[in-house]
Amino acid sequence: MTPSPSSATPSRVTPGAVPLVDVRGPRFGAWVTTVVLAVALLAGSGRLVAVQALVFAVGAAAGLRYAPYGVLFRTIVAPRLGPVREREPAAPPRFAQLVGFLFAAVGAAGYLLGVPILGAVATGLALVAALLNAATGFCLGCELYLTARRALPARTA
Amino acid sequence: MPPGPAGLGRYVSGTGLVVLVVALVVTGVAAWWTRTRNGAVHTPAPGTGQEDALTPQTVLAGLGVRPDDADLTVVQFSTAFCGPCRATRARLQQMQTSRPGLAYVHVDAESHLDEVRALDVRRTPTLFYLDRSGALVGRSSGAPRPEELTALVDAHTTVQR
Repeated sequence: MTPSPSSATPSRVTPGAVPLVDVRGPRFGAWVTTVVLAVALLAGSGRLVAVQALVFAVGAAAGLRYAPYGVLFRTIVAPRLGPVREREPAAPPRFAQLVGFLFAAVGAAGYLLGVPILGAVATGLALVAALLNAATGFCLGCELYLTARRALPARTA
Repeated sequence: MPPGPAGLGRYVSGTGLVVLVVALVVTGVAAWWTRTRNGAVHTPAPGTGQEDALTPQTVLAGLGVRPDDADLTVVQFSTAFCGPCRATRARLQQMQTSRPGLAYVHVDAESHLDEVRALDVRRTPTLFYLDRSGALVGRSSGAPRPEELTALVDAHTTVQR
């Protein structure tokens, strides 16, 4: 119950203990997502939003290692960049994929079920989160995680 | 993006264009906010004596925080899905190595939701800064900027080599 005054805890995460990703991977993915969602908005294409929702779903369910844009980054982009300089735990960007999925799923449903205004607004919100992440590294879904968690009843774990 | 020539209207959704422009403006404002205001340390107004109310200090004391053991005690609330929490924690633990008067308490927000609600912690990392007398000298939400964090810590502790 009491938090540990963690003076003895090492500040560096040991590789292997926590899944880590190259920090540039999620940032690259966020840029691709931004472009895809912008094109989808301009074209009013629910199908393209649905594709993006699927991409989010794979990243959230299977992990960043299998996230389509992550695969694209590792195979095509990363070899052209320098060596990995910084890694981060995979859990926050993976959680962000889940938040992205929820917005993209609502967006795709809105477009495809004949409520294009809902589709456009939900897609726009997903685009804000993706572009903010791409440009500044700020993870909106991660920040709001606690707000959402607070509102829910305590889990009996 | 200005509206294109008349023919473009057939290919570009008007609603989509409006939403895209609004989204870009919102993102710009949000990016400006994260750069300038996120993580700023707020100093609570002193002497607002609400002795009957549940003060942040009593809630933190319930979490095992003992400010009288150190010159400055920093309490950090984190979650597992928080990238900046890790960097902030590492920075504070690094500062501890040269400042014996600095104490650091890490709280997993998810397993202390009652305290999170009582303290109105909405985002992570949220940090509370307490001096030796137990007074709350500051509070910040979002990763604090390194220079502001260092200045606050240095104002309350002394560096030892």
